[in-house]
Amino acid sequence: MKSIKYLLIISLLVFALGVTYSGVMAAEKPPVVIGLQGPITGAWAYEGQMAKQSCEIAAQLINEKGGILGGRMIELRVADDACEPKAGALAAMKLISQKDVVASVSTYGSSVCEPASNLYEKFKKVNIAYGATAVRLTERGLKYFFRTCGIDSAQGIFFADYVPRVFGAKRIAIMHDNTTFAKGVAEETKKSLQPKVDAGEVEIVYYDAITPGEKDFSVPLTKVRETNPDVLYFTGYYPEAALIVSQARDIGIDCPFVGGNAAINDEFVKIAGIEKAKGCFMTQEPMPAELPYPESKIFLEAYKAKYGEIPSSPWPVYAADALNIIAYAIDKTGSTDSDILAEYLRNEVDGVPGITGSIGFTEKGDREGVPYLMYVVNEEGGFDIYEE
Amino acid sequence: MRIFLEQMINGLTIGSFYALIALGYSMVYGVMKLINFAHGDLFALGSYLGFTLLVWGNAYVTTNFGLAGGMIAAMLIAAIGIGMAGILVERIAYRPIYPAGRLPAVVSALGVSIFLENMIMVIWGPRYQAYPVNVVPTVRFEIGGIHITLLQIIILILSFILLAFLYYIIQKTTFGAAIRASALDRDTAALMGININTVIFFIFALGPALGGTAGVMVGMYYRQISFTMGWNYGLKAFTATILGGIGNIPGAMVGGLLLGIFEMLGSAYISTAYKDVFVFLILILVLIFRPRGLLGEKIAEKV
Repeated sequence: MKSIKYLLIISLLVFALGVTYSGVMAAEKPPVVIGLQGPITGAWAYEGQMAKQSCEIAAQLINEKGGILGGRMIELRVADDACEPKAGALAAMKLISQKDVVASVSTYGSSVCEPASNLYEKFKKVNIAYGATAVRLTERGLKYFFRTCGIDSAQGIFFADYVPRVFGAKRIAIMHDNTTFAKGVAEETKKSLQPKVDAGEVEIVYYDAITPGEKDFSVPLTKVRETNPDVLYFTGYYPEAALIVSQARDIGIDCPFVGGNAAINDEFVKIAGIEKAKGCFMTQEPMPAELPYPESKIFLEAYKAKYGEIPSSPWPVYAADALNIIAYAIDKTGSTDSDILAEYLRNEVDGVPGITGSIGFTEKGDREGVPYLMYVVNEEGGFDIYEE
Repeated sequence: MRIFLEQMINGLTIGSFYALIALGYSMVYGVMKLINFAHGDLFALGSYLGFTLLVWGNAYVTTNFGLAGGMIAAMLIAAIGIGMAGILVERIAYRPIYPAGRLPAVVSALGVSIFLENMIMVIWGPRYQAYPVNVVPTVRFEIGGIHITLLQIIILILSFILLAFLYYIIQKTTFGAAIRASALDRDTAALMGININTVIFFIFALGPALGGTAGVMVGMYYRQISFTMGWNYGLKAFTATILGGIGNIPGAMVGGLLLGIFEMLGSAYISTAYKDVFVFLILILVLIFRPRGLLGEKIAEKV
């Protein structure tokens, strides 16, 4: 019985290979294959799905213009990492082991990106993250790792500049939740505020952490209230952010509430209730709809034409930009060799127009100059750019 | 002083949630000598039931009976629903295996807990759900600098009424005496003509009903509920039960209220991050010096 089973499997494999092979043969020039690793399933599936759609649109736009390297089409190959580190390593191996995959767009979550990028590094394959914003990712001195998204600390720098200047806030309360991400943003905010603190322009009146998963914040908030802050900045996630806002208002904290880019979303508005959510602020990368560049207009039109509406989160367009910049590098260098591509991305790519603004990479592989914006929750629970 | 009083009020509010849930553990343990691990999830189920009632039925009830009517209707229906669920759990999961001993029943209780948690996830989904905002108008009082919300006052009054009501039933009525007798010695109580099955039926209806009511209150207070919430509250309430003396009804009430106050004061004056450490430290100290809990009676060793 067993041998029959094997025979069946082998014949199926042969058949499958045959089909793929004939498919390749049919095209005149072989396509350039670019991988996408993202959470196609799991808790963050909507992020992965939108990234896939964005990459498909980006590839489609390039192909409509005649492809790269004199007429070779871009082909997207997707591997699902479900936003889990273990599955991420498997997905990375899946793309690495396919020799025709030139480089990879990988991935959304920082904790998934870390082991995956180690594997890409080991097997010398260029990988560009589109949502992994943890600072430490580019501190490891990897040669083949880049990212088109910003890094966590950039948000803190933005806050430290914007809030004292525009809100005129002098007494600042900062709250995080001890997760790597939230703590990173909070620490960077504190660090960036330091020159202003030294000059006596602002004062950090409260700096502490709450426990994620907690529901009752009356104690830390009472402490915040006693410090009488001008603004409260919470860098953690929306489940806690919503409760913090709602309980802060109940005990009489009426100062503006600013959330980090993980704190405020539709769920936040739902949990806090529109009465308390409206007027809350958020430091965030621009949403796709607000991107002002000609490239973004073309991209979003094509996206809308195919999927009905534009991406509802900032990250998918960074995936499209990652694919674009890989295609750009292959086209310019005329090579699919990882070393040449990594070298070119690091040293030669600078100010290339992209969907999310001009693209360039630092020595570490970070994106140069990602803009941030201050958003405010409006009367209907939507998000508007705050007018200075 | 202002902060101290404010934290006392906060502590009493969450303490009354713990007390209401703890009663379910204590009553069941008293009579059955079984720790009903499913109790926390029955509480969560009550919270979700209340959520659905308030979302779907609120418009109709509030237009006809006012805001208070909507709230009380949600609590009543949740209490009845969870009471029935409690009876069902006892019939399906405990009664058939009770003759096999206490250990299989505890395993069965854990099984029910996992089942209920996942059932909630399948029915209402894995995301956080939010209670509607308009159930109790957001009114904030400031008395001598102490902030207290209308909702807090309502919750405190309601839970004290419930606790007093239960205390009356258990301590002053004949039926309460039957429950206490069964808790002391089941077999002898049965010989004295007490119908043990009726007693069990009653405690498995009443305990979860109180838990379900607490679930609706927690939902209204924090407005954010998740399918895993039963575990957390269950653990805290169980701790409260031990603190007050397991099997002892006034003990569960006192234990719950004290636990809430300890938790709040601990996080206010020691550290927010270590508040659970503080709570369990007190539990350990109580168990060292009074192993039967604060109000637990000393029982004569069997010779």
